[in-house]
This record gives sequence, C-alpha cells and structure tokens, in this order.
Amino acid sequence: MRNLLSIARKEIKIALRERLVVSLGIIILLLLGVALYGGYLSYRQQSRIITEKQEEKRKEWLGQGDKHPHIAAHYGTFVFKPKTILSVFDFGLDTYTGTSIYLEAHYQHEFMFRPAQDHSSMIRFGELSAALVLYVLLPLLIIFLAFSSYTKEKETGTLRLLLSQGASYSSITWGKVLAYSILLIVILAPYIAGMFILSSRGLSSAVVPDVAVRTVLLVLIYALYIFIFLSLSVWVSLKSATGRNALLTLLACWILLVILTPKAVANLSESFYTLPSMRAFKEGIQKDIRDGIDGETPGPVRRARLEKEYLTRYGVDSLHQLPFNFEGVSMQAGEEYGNMVYDIHWEKLRAIFHRQNSMGSIASIFNPYLAIQHLSMALSATDLYTAIDFEDKVEAYRRELVRKMNNDMAQNSRYGEFYEYKATRELWDEIEDFSYVTPSAFEILRYYKLEMISIVGWTTFVVLLLHYSNRKSKPIHG
Amino acid sequence: MDKAIKTLIRYEWVSFIRNRFQLLMVGVTFLFGIYAIYYGQTEINAQREVIKEIMELEQNEFSTYLASFKGEPETVQEEQNHDIASKPAFAWYRHGYHAILPPHDYAALAIGQRDLFRYYYRLTGMSLHYQLFENELANPVNLLAGNFDLSFVIVYLFPLLIISFCYNLYSGEKENGTLPLLYIQSISISRIVIVRLLFYFTLITGLALLMSLIGLFTSGSVLKEENQLPALLWILGVVIYNAFWFSLLFLIVSYRRNSPFNAITAAGCWLFFLIVIPSVLNIVVTTRYPLSSTELAGLTRRTGLENENDEQEAKEVILEFLAHKPELAGSDSLIDNNRLAKAYAAYTSLKDIESQHEVDRYNGQVRKRNILANRFHWINPAVSMQDVFTHIVHTDLNTFLRFQDALAIFHEKITDFYFRKLFWNQRIHREDYSKLPEFHMEKSIDRYTVATGIIFQITLLTILFALAGLVTIKKKSLI
Repeated sequence: MRNLLSIARKEIKIALRERLVVSLGIIILLLLGVALYGGYLSYRQQSRIITEKQEEKRKEWLGQGDKHPHIAAHYGTFVFKPKTILSVFDFGLDTYTGTSIYLEAHYQHEFMFRPAQDHSSMIRFGELSAALVLYVLLPLLIIFLAFSSYTKEKETGTLRLLLSQGASYSSITWGKVLAYSILLIVILAPYIAGMFILSSRGLSSAVVPDVAVRTVLLVLIYALYIFIFLSLSVWVSLKSATGRNALLTLLACWILLVILTPKAVANLSESFYTLPSMRAFKEGIQKDIRDGIDGETPGPVRRARLEKEYLTRYGVDSLHQLPFNFEGVSMQAGEEYGNMVYDIHWEKLRAIFHRQNSMGSIASIFNPYLAIQHLSMALSATDLYTAIDFEDKVEAYRRELVRKMNNDMAQNSRYGEFYEYKATRELWDEIEDFSYVTPSAFEILRYYKLEMISIVGWTTFVVLLLHYSNRKSKPIHG
Repeated sequence: MDKAIKTLIRYEWVSFIRNRFQLLMVGVTFLFGIYAIYYGQTEINAQREVIKEIMELEQNEFSTYLASFKGEPETVQEEQNHDIASKPAFAWYRHGYHAILPPHDYAALAIGQRDLFRYYYRLTGMSLHYQLFENELANPVNLLAGNFDLSFVIVYLFPLLIISFCYNLYSGEKENGTLPLLYIQSISISRIVIVRLLFYFTLITGLALLMSLIGLFTSGSVLKEENQLPALLWILGVVIYNAFWFSLLFLIVSYRRNSPFNAITAAGCWLFFLIVIPSVLNIVVTTRYPLSSTELAGLTRRTGLENENDEQEAKEVILEFLAHKPELAGSDSLIDNNRLAKAYAAYTSLKDIESQHEVDRYNGQVRKRNILANRFHWINPAVSMQDVFTHIVHTDLNTFLRFQDALAIFHEKITDFYFRKLFWNQRIHREDYSKLPEFHMEKSIDRYTVATGIIFQITLLTILFALAGLVTIKKKSLI
C-alpha cells in the first residue's frame, strides 16, 4: 500500500512536469467551461422564449372569442418542446428533434423545426457540450497522460529499479491508475461540485422532477467511463514495447470507438431498416381513413353504420330527434377512427426507429463510447425515448382537446345547424394548459439495459485485465 | 531527378511495402472509402425512389382529373372528381403540385444537409406557410451520428492516415539510431525529409484520388456537362486538402522533436480542426444569433374567416385581397358566385403576404449565421473542405434556402393559375391541363466560384505552413 501511494505521488509529479499534458488539461478545462456557459446561455434563451410563446398561445386560445367548438378545434393551439435543465450539460438530440407542434382536429401534425436546419453543414461536426468534452476529448487527454506510463519506465530502465526495490507490478499499475484518477478528479472537481450545487439548490425545473438522482447517476457513469479508458491506457502501456507503439495503438482505438463505429452503426441501421418518406407515410394514413383500415369500409359507410346504431339505440327514426347533435358524435367517431389508424401507422414507424436504435444498443456492448453517449442523453432527458414520451403526451393532450370540443358540440348544438351555435370562454377554460414532466430516470433507463450492462461489464473487464496482466508480468520483462 | 533521390524513393517504397501495419491501414482506409461511396449511393438512390414514388402519386392525381372530362359522369365519385377537376372553388386547394429538388449526380459523395432538409414538397393553393414547415421523417439518433460518406472519409480519415505515416519521418530515424547514417549521405537531411514527405504525399493522395474517381465514375457520368466542373473541383479539392495536411505535418516534423511529441501535436491539430473549432463555432453561432422557430410556428395555424356566414366580412376580405392583386379585380369578381371560396382564398393569401416578412426575417437570420460561420473558414481547412464538397454537389445550406425561395415563387404561380379562374368565375377546361404551373429553380451562379475561393484559401494556408516548415528545418539544421 505504501508502495502504491508513493508511486502515485511520483506519477502525479511527473505528469505535472509534462508541459504538453498540463496545457492540454488546461484547454480541456477551458472548453468545459465554455461548453457549460454556452449550454446555459442557450438554455436560458430558449426557455425564456418558449415560456413566453407558450403563454402567448395560451392567451390566444382563451381569448379566441366565441365560436363554434369545431372551428376552435381547428384553430387549435401550439406546444413547444421545453429545454430541460440538464440539457445544459448534454444537448443530446435537441438539435435534431423538432421543437414545436401545431395541435388541431383531424390532423396529427409532426413536430416542426429541427434546430440543425438553421445551420450550415458545419453543425454536423458536432456542438460543444460538456458531455462532448467529457466523452470525446477527455479520453484523449487520458491517452496522452498514460500512454507512456509503463513504456517510459521500460525505456529509461527505471522499471527494473522499481521492481528490485520490491514494488510489485500490481502496486505499480494501481499506483499509476490512482495517480491519474486523482489528477482527473482534481481537474473536474469544480464542475462536479457545481453540478451538485445546481441540482440540490432546487434549480430543477418543473420539467425534470428528479434532477438530483439524474446528476448522481451521471457522475457515476462518467466516473466508470473515465476509469475504463484510464485502465485501458495503462494496460496498453504495460503491454507495449515503446511509447510510440502504445500511443499509436491507443489513438487507433480512440478513432475506432469514437469516430468510426458510431457513424458506421447509425448508417448501417439506416440501410437495414429504411424509413418511409413523409409523403408515403401520410398518404398511407389518409388512404386508411378514407377507405377504412380493411379497405372496404369507407367514411360514408362508417357514418351510415353509426347513424343506424344511434337511431336504434335511442329508438327514433330521424337524427333530428336525438337529444343531442349527432354531428358532434359523428365528428368524434371520425376522430377516434383517425386516431386508431394513426396509432397503427405510428407504431409501425416507431418500430423501425426502435430497430434502428437497438443496433446502436447492441454495438454499445462492444463500444463504451456509444454506451456512455446513450446513457448520458437519457439521463439528461435529451434522448429519443424522452422525446417520444413527450410526443405521446402531446398527442394525448390533443385528443382530449378535440374530444371536449366535439362533446360540447354534441351536447349544446342542434343537428343540422352549424353557425347558430357558439361556445364561449367557459369551454376554452376547461382545456387545461399543457405542461410536460419527464418520466423518472429509472423509467427511461429501462430502454438502456444493454448500455448499462456495457458500462458495468467493461469496468469489470478492465479490472480483471489489469489484475491478470499484473500477475502474468514477470520482472524479467523490465 | 538525381540518383540519390531515386535511391531514396526506391528504399522508401521497399520499407512501405514491408511494413504490414501501414499496408493494413491503407487497405482499411480504401475499404472505408468504398463503403462510404456505397452508403452515399444507397441514401441518394433511396431519395430518388421517393421522388419517383411521389411523381407517380402526382401523375395519378392529375390523370384522375383529366379522365373526368371524358363523357358524362355516371357515379357520384365521378361527379365529385369532375367537380374537383373543373371547378376552381375546389381545385385551388385540392390540386397538389410537387416541387422537387433532385439530387445532383455526385450528392452521394457528400450528403451534407440533404438528409436533414426536405427535398420535395406538395403544394396546393392553400396558405404557403401552412405547407412549408413539415419535416421529413428521420431518426434523430442517426441524424446526430451523421453520414459515413466519401467526404467524411476524406475530411476526417485521410488526415489521420497522413499523420500516422509522417509523424516520425525524422524522429523515427533518431530513435532507431539510423540518423547518423543519414547525416553522412551526400544529400542533406532536410532534403531527405522533404523527398520522403513528397513520396507519401503522392501515395496517399493517389489513394484519395483513386477513391474519388471510383466515386465519381460510379455516381454519374463525368462527361455530362453539369458534372465536369464538379468532378474537376472535387479532385482539385482532394489534392489541396491532402497537401494542407502534409504541409502541417512538415511543419511539425521540422521542429525535430521526439515521436510521441509529434504524434500528440499532430493528433491535437486534428482534434482542433475537426472537433474543437467547429463545435465551439457552432455554439458561438447559436448564442450569437439566437433563432427561435417558435415565431414561425404560429404561421402554420389553419385559420379562416371569423364569421363565414357574414357576407360583409367576406366582401371586405375579398376587396382587401383584390387591392393586392388588381389584375384579378374584374367587374364580376364580387358577384355571389362562390363567394365563400373566394373569401377563403383571399384570406389565406392575405395571411401569407402578412407573414412573409416574418419568414424573411427568420431566413435572413439563418443566412447571417451562415455568414458568421463562413468568416472563420480560413482558420479551419477541414470545415472549409466539407463546405467545398457540399457546395459542388449541391447539398449545402444555401441550396436549400434557395429551394425555399423557389417554393414561394412556385406557390405564387399555382395561386395565380387557380385564382384567375376563381375570381373571373371561369371553369378549368381540359386544355388548361396542358398549361399547368411548373416548378422551376434558378441555377446558383456563384456555387463554383465560392468553392474555388475556399480551395484557394486552403492553398494559401498550405503554402504558409510549408514555408514555415522550410524555414524551421533549415534553421534547426544549422545548430
């Protein structure tokens, strides 16, 4: 243990003497600061605008004046995707998911305006977020720190000296790992502390209720990720004859893990499971609504059935005699049919997304970078499943809104009349304002089992790897 | 070429051939290149398929309309079709026209923003802004990951290949103990380094050109007139970009430091050019010109007259619209025929006119962002190169902004066509179907000059680094 500590102390001293490493460390620190500041600025800008706009749209809805409920259902309202406070840390998919949606009767609009569309192709090089610094750049710093940890001892002959002093491989290896861990913790400490303070001071927005849990989990998985890279770097150094070889091997691994596989996996998944075009997707929905899901019950037939059903149920022989406006009932039935058709098509589409993403999840078992990227987005509530959850809740809100409008029309207006009836502010008030709350971290993590297995698996793997190699390494090596 | 240089090149070749690791890297890069070309082509072919499918939908739609003119309608459905085909009051918002931005033959080599922006729209006479902002379906996870196309291989991977071949050109000799042997040769050390660099430059650029040629030949005919200049610029760009990285490596090597130092510095440069600078710039651009599409979202709302049964209101709306379009203000525009349809048409057009300035302001902001980003091109050859590629294969942001402008013009053509009929109370005849509005987009005039300008910038930077390297290596050899 004494050995281990003194090796760690020596290692830290040497690292601090390396100007290149120190300056890279400072650059990374600066970048982290810039990333967080930039993330915070855009979070503030966006959430201010969204709150303003959401209030404006709410006012428009409430102040739309007296009108027929069906016209109001078409007038509809808008929902904007809120920025989550953790998006300051990891922008995730925010740049590529649509930000606003128009809710109206009959039509499921899609989310519009992906922020990436407001950029030149430079956006595809990535955006500087704190997460990017931590999972892309920090591994490189680790590589630069640790590639020569063993090779230098070998090249200068000090490994032999250390071993002759009675230090075991195990204490040397773990001493080095400990030293670099301490260095990184010192570098990152202010940020980790900052994150904890932010999350505990109740800066948690209404959107993400469990910021504290998420922060703890984020710190944990990043710690494991960094540990994996550290241990791997030390291991490669232990196994390499020269520093040059160690460095090249590690850089090649980094490129493979961080640059090549993520793109390749995403592209392959796209080739295996192709998405339909929006036009074909919408056309499919319209066709099924028009001709019926079985292709044999077009709209008029469905309406006739509904009419008959209501006439027999109420024992009357004309729609005028019904105690409510049949148009409202028919409208709602049409709406529900449309929803059913939409759900079927939407589920098919989601299944494709899901299959595409599961390729990424499987790949993450072999690539801890993918695992951390997915988990980090998930915990920051900027991943696909949170986005899907948001879309689902928005759609449920839309359906409720339209249903209330149709019901009101059925109850309060007469069959065959349209302009004669006008609903008032009271009805608009009945529709509550939309507010979104993300699912809890654990609910979202259910979608990321493979990624969690990957991180834990890799950690165990590197510990075993180092342990085994320490025992196998013979002093003669030096 | 003198004998010493020939010998040098021959031995360099021998050592290259014998180094399995280097051969493997070249082979792997080549395979990546082939995959990238294949991937790009499948993506673009999928888009071509979509376009074909859509054109069929449109043809079906219009052939139904045309068919309805033959003989008297018999079924209710036929009568309905004929109404939609011949009565402007229905036709103006039911007839859908597709505006399509077909991919350039070489778009497969640099997909750029083409997976993100829509390349087709179905437009009717209804409010333009109601139709303009729908997205194409896409998996955001894959959008974030980006495309593994040939431009990616060239911009990202080739520099790495160059680094791994050249970082130890000098230091390697020192570390292997062969340096003193070189010093006693008749040829100077700096010449040796330069010749070796040129050797690898030829080798790696040759590989890049081979891949580019495969890409260019399999993606479209190079002989077609519209392909000649892009193919030429592509090749020029590839050569200059590789030259840039070689000159940078030359500068690094010329300091004669040890191998790990060179490798770290070169990898650091790569990191700065390909990840740090662009990602920092992106966040600067985002915060400097905050853009909120929430402004535009409101424009997509489907609204109509407050009181459709209020005759006075309908009349006022029509009059207001006619003030904008005096050519439609015939003596009979206001007669009761189709008043509601006219009022609705007038209403959505007025709404478009009103909201156009908001859209313009928004697009102006996007352009400003683009200009700000472009201002930093000179410090970053990697991003500039990507920009050159997307420019020459028509997948850059500007192309899509111009497409949006062309859509607005097309929409106006469509509304003109139908509103003329609607407001003059005319029917649409069979003959009119041969004079339907057609989509047209102006060719960009400055696309290739912009690309050439950027290539020129990279060339200057290349020369600068090469000169700096030359000075350093000379200075250091005096010591």
